[in-house]
Amino acid sequence: MMKDVLYASILLVSLFVSAQSVWTLYMTLYGWDQPPAEASAPEYFREPRLSFTALLPARHEEDVIRGTILRLAESNYPPDLVQVLVVCSADDQGTIDEAEAGIELLRRQGRENVELVVFSDGPVNKPHGLNVALARATNDVVVIFDAEDDMHPDIFDVVNTVMEEEQVKVVQAGVQLMNFEATWYSALNALEYFFWFRSRLHYYAHVGAIPLGGNTIFFDRALIARIGGWDETILTEDAEIGLQLSVEGERVRIVYDHRYVTREEVPPTLKQFIKQRTRWNQGFIQVLHKGTWRKLKTRKQRRLAFATLVFPQGQAILGVYFAFSLFTMVDLKTPVLVAELSYIPVLIVLANFLATVVGLYSFTRAHGLKTTPSAVAGLAIAWFPYQLVLAYASLRAVSRQVRGHLDWEKTAHVGGHRGKTADRSLGRDEVSENAA
Amino acid sequence: MPPSNMGFTSTEPRSTARITRRSSMESARQWYYSRGPLGTFALAFAIVSGVVTHSYHLFDYPLYETDEGIYLERAWAIIREGRLSPQTYVYDHAPGGWMLIAAWVFLLPGHFEAFGNPVNSARVLMVILHAGSTFFLFEIARKFSRGGLLAPTIACFFFNFSWLAVYYQRMALLDNIMVFWVLLSIYLLLREEVRLFAGLWSGLAFGVAMVTKENAVFFAPTIYYLLTRRAKNDGVDSTSRELTLFFWLFAAATPVLAYCLYATLNGEFFPPGMSFSLKHTSVSLLYEAWYQLHRNQATLFNRRSSTPFLYTAWLPKDPFLLAAGTVAMVICILAGWRQRKADPSLLVAGTLAFEIAFYLARGSVILDFYVIPLIPMYALCIALVADRAFKSLPERTSRVLAPAVCTAVAAFLLLPPGGYLIKHGSTGQLQAADPYHVPQTFMQNAQISWIRQHIPANSRIISDDDIWVALHDVNPVFPYDESHWNAASDPQVRKIFGGGRWYDIDYIVLSNQMKNAMILNNTGNQEQWMLNALDYHSTEVWSITRGSVSLQIYKVNN
Repeated sequence: MMKDVLYASILLVSLFVSAQSVWTLYMTLYGWDQPPAEASAPEYFREPRLSFTALLPARHEEDVIRGTILRLAESNYPPDLVQVLVVCSADDQGTIDEAEAGIELLRRQGRENVELVVFSDGPVNKPHGLNVALARATNDVVVIFDAEDDMHPDIFDVVNTVMEEEQVKVVQAGVQLMNFEATWYSALNALEYFFWFRSRLHYYAHVGAIPLGGNTIFFDRALIARIGGWDETILTEDAEIGLQLSVEGERVRIVYDHRYVTREEVPPTLKQFIKQRTRWNQGFIQVLHKGTWRKLKTRKQRRLAFATLVFPQGQAILGVYFAFSLFTMVDLKTPVLVAELSYIPVLIVLANFLATVVGLYSFTRAHGLKTTPSAVAGLAIAWFPYQLVLAYASLRAVSRQVRGHLDWEKTAHVGGHRGKTADRSLGRDEVSENAA
Repeated sequence: MPPSNMGFTSTEPRSTARITRRSSMESARQWYYSRGPLGTFALAFAIVSGVVTHSYHLFDYPLYETDEGIYLERAWAIIREGRLSPQTYVYDHAPGGWMLIAAWVFLLPGHFEAFGNPVNSARVLMVILHAGSTFFLFEIARKFSRGGLLAPTIACFFFNFSWLAVYYQRMALLDNIMVFWVLLSIYLLLREEVRLFAGLWSGLAFGVAMVTKENAVFFAPTIYYLLTRRAKNDGVDSTSRELTLFFWLFAAATPVLAYCLYATLNGEFFPPGMSFSLKHTSVSLLYEAWYQLHRNQATLFNRRSSTPFLYTAWLPKDPFLLAAGTVAMVICILAGWRQRKADPSLLVAGTLAFEIAFYLARGSVILDFYVIPLIPMYALCIALVADRAFKSLPERTSRVLAPAVCTAVAAFLLLPPGGYLIKHGSTGQLQAADPYHVPQTFMQNAQISWIRQHIPANSRIISDDDIWVALHDVNPVFPYDESHWNAASDPQVRKIFGGGRWYDIDYIVLSNQMKNAMILNNTGNQEQWMLNALDYHSTEVWSITRGSVSLQIYKVNN
């Protein structure tokens, strides 16, 4: 009797894991099954007409903020149509100093379109900073960039053209982690971004229930003001606002073109990576509990949103199951049919890995990088430890949420995706010499 | 200030990307042809005619084959016993085919007895699969002929009306199920745009075909070639292409891997002691594959071989299809090779036919129904060659000539010269062709009835597989009835008969030509104890003969 219950449990969990893995695989590959035009960037640019306000929230970003300001200010879009608002909290003097240095450098070059917005009230987190800056925004479109972002100089042209031609009010452009060889988990982390922006987001946009990304997201300012800005109580304000817009029935246009992606870095240490992932997972739990997703119009939308938001908890369960499955592989003798069915998830993991390998070659080819068979071997070796780390981060998120730890665990940025040459070209040395 | 790219590299110039997309759309359109009302009518006619020719007189003709019985008893074992075979499963065939039959029978009210004799249930499934195969063949021929209706109509005519086709396609055989999956796999690759998931489903269909009947693997080179051509044209970037190819391979390999896993979990993947000696049999997937590779028989073209099916079974049924198909195959390969870059259709059709023709002609063991996969491929080749021939004529000539010639040929084939539908009887009178006229299976049903009425249920019976399920699924069941094949090869089965003693047999139930099969299968004397019982220690207690078919029952004097 006990054995039957055990076998039934194994079968049920196997089928659950299989279904979840197939769904993940489906979304991972979805983008390549669609007509290319649906995700493409325009092949020509319209005359600039829309004006943009770029919000650049930064906290303890002394190492990268100046470079980001300079990049943003030097985009190929007319400066009089771009307003840049760097947002810092008053207690972060280091970042404020670096931001002011960058702004000063631009002023000397005759650029007056960058401002520093400092707030001293709470909570000290990204959504609050965004809301403070939103009140100061004056242009047609609001866009968010993170402090370490390397945005493409043509990105405003791209979005101006898309918004004008397709009459959309929300555009999510691609983001890509670049330093894929930095640590043992970098390649897998970079490929997660690759698949997320190249494929999965398209599926979310297609269904109309989309948790947006945290940066390179463009909103019609009136629209974002109308829905009241970002929820300051949630760690993933981007996902929450995406679902709010989905409830409003707002179409989100995804633009993924490797030429125009915003470049970011992989969290420099495993500890930072776990913190970042914990914050995302905990944020999803909060969004799930808040319940905006329940107001989505169709059952399919609600199902997708729920499955996405509950995924972190599912991943935590998977982590536990993984340990259990190791035990069963070694120690448990089951009937052949049970054993055969319990191998289905392994097969789907293999398919996911296959997609990842193709993705690695595609990603490196697109960005003029090189990969080797040893990098593929590295992926294979890192695969399961990486899943375990994800599962740990999920467990940690659940634990933090249960214990009421709702503070923002910040991810450190060191500019690992930028070379020293790039930093020099963006004024760091010049300002330093002047300072000296 | 000139715009700066700030260190961004652009590996794909904008103009190139634009051109890629346009050519992709153009390429996709090359494979999209609206069927139109006339096309829909032609398709409906093809399917309906296929269903009619295959289902009329279905339960009466042809005789239930031994192999139909084998797959049915294995489906029975899945449903009733939760295993792949009621006897020892020796990996002689992958189980995909009878798993499908089991699923079908399980859904039927009355299960195996839903249509009378248990084999009938599986034959109804064959008709349904044939309707699906007809749809796929029609669409494949239509797309290979750039949307024309002549080629699909001709292809489906042969597929539906040829006596050779009707005879074998009615039977519950793995080959018919395999053909369905193979045609589905090809059809999926000919959709308007082959994107990732279409490739994946195509691969999965092909993988299922391989675990239905292993000889599907002979089609793999051509189907993969077609995939690469479609992916090359339709994939907007190299990643789409790579993913489509990878996932086709992965999906195709998945059912095969599952089959290998099954053997591994049973400890039957490798032979015991890694011994591949052909002198000793062992239950192992790899050993069975090794054994099958080393089986040899006289070639198909030798009239004196033990299995001269070309002369005894195939040519008498439809010499026209075989001759015209062979010529068309050669034309398709030669012409197709020359124009492969512009249009791979002819080459694909020709090589598909060649691959299975090569399989049949290569000189290994074959059975008469192994011709089944050749039929749709030959039909396709004939259809495409005819289509190209008419298209090469001036349009006005072709418009008149094509219907006239096709109607004349169809009439020739349907009427007595071809004998597809009507033929001359033994006294010269006109009568329907055998598939629609000759009753045969009533003899097997009479044999089963006699057994039920006259033989005690606990008797030890040597019979053939064609009646196995009938004797094991309906009360009173005959638990000690086994086929001579299994009694000869399976030690577990032989235990019923005292390990192989003639006096431990109570009855021998002979199917048509069964004694001949026992003699052919007696190369290692494994059938000798049964032949001894039959020849020296038994008395005929029942028999029936109609034409060339003869069935008997013997009581062994033990």
